Amino acid sequence: MASTRQLKSRIRSVGSTKQITKAMQMVAASKMRRAQDATKASTPYSRVASEILTHLASQGATKNHPLFTETTVKSRLYIVITSDKGLAGAYNANVLKAYLAELRADEAKSISNHTIAVGRKASQFAVRLKHTSLRGTYENLPDQPTGAEISAIISAAYDLFVSGEVDAVDLIYTEFVSSMTQIPRVHRILPAGWTPTEVRQSIRDAQYEPNMELVLESVVRRLVESQLYQALLDARASEHSMRMIAMKNATDNASDLVDDLTLEMNKARQAAITQELAEISGGAEAMK
Amino acid sequence: MKLRLVTLAGTKLDEDVYEVILPTADGEIAVFPDHEPIVTVAVPGVISVRRKPTDSDDLLEVYAVTGGVIEIDAQTISVLVDDADHSSEITEAEAKEALDRALKLQNSATNQIELEKAHQLVDRHMVRLKVADLHRRHRRG
Repeated sequence: MASTRQLKSRIRSVGSTKQITKAMQMVAASKMRRAQDATKASTPYSRVASEILTHLASQGATKNHPLFTETTVKSRLYIVITSDKGLAGAYNANVLKAYLAELRADEAKSISNHTIAVGRKASQFAVRLKHTSLRGTYENLPDQPTGAEISAIISAAYDLFVSGEVDAVDLIYTEFVSSMTQIPRVHRILPAGWTPTEVRQSIRDAQYEPNMELVLESVVRRLVESQLYQALLDARASEHSMRMIAMKNATDNASDLVDDLTLEMNKARQAAITQELAEISGGAEAMK
Repeated sequence: MKLRLVTLAGTKLDEDVYEVILPTADGEIAVFPDHEPIVTVAVPGVISVRRKPTDSDDLLEVYAVTGGVIEIDAQTISVLVDDADHSSEITEAEAKEALDRALKLQNSATNQIELEKAHQLVDRHMVRLKVADLHRRHRRG
């Protein structure tokens, strides 16, 4: 049995670990709430973009347009979104597992693929893979990315798509369903799809300047950007919520461990006292 | 007439205004109430807003915006851009520094893609600097 002194120092060290995990849990909880609020803020953007697009589509502008035409996919681009830091439970592992499953499926169908990694964990993973060419990595994005960062990522993807180097662009990220459930998802952003929305009477006979083509291109870009932005925020909210739960488990474990160790320490102390008493009374007996 | 300035990070402005000057691909246009419906492309530039007909030019509110889409009908203007910064959110020194950095990047670009990105950055920071400059002048005037 370990000595009382050793046990005491172990209790102290587990106790301070518990303080750290508890603090990380609180930080993750507040960051998650902020990420959730930001998700709501970006909805007007995609709504207005969908409206204009629905109107353009009704005029036949999207027909046979390269950005909307689905061709046989021979080459794909993945945008994989993970976190920069670990200690978030199975968060990164789940995303990377989904990514790996896609890569395997591609290999079976002999589709070549490219990857843009967002987050340090994704880039560390993708750099070691043989079957995909890494086209860019983005690390240390702020908690609430700005248009400049989104636009940089989308430009890279857009150029590859327009030049015909890839036939499809997919996002792999974690969808935030609730604070208890987060699911890794694969979402196609190009060729572009959108949910038709109602078009207000007032813009039905609008003119397009300089021409329909340019407006269409610009709208599609906004829509794709808003999808990426949404995915980034979802991923962020999922990351924080999973980290919160992982840290809560760690805190609970530490508490249990402290309890067990305290019990063991008390037992050890009591055993030592009992032994001492036995020795004294044994000694006294022998003196008689 | 309502002006809605919508960015990726949320709605920046949603208010009644009198006149809006917008940077489009064909040049700047000024929009007053009851404009005919138009959908057009926004280029990086400055959006100026006049709230009341009686406001002088000094009271114009200015925003630095990146490219995007503008939808105009008789009663609403919706502006969709990646980023929009109000003049009070930009400090001149910081904008100047960012522009210098972007220019340096443009000079050291080794391939077409880098050059293109540097161009975009230069454009963006030029606009921001212009807006910061306008803000300072208006405050003085």
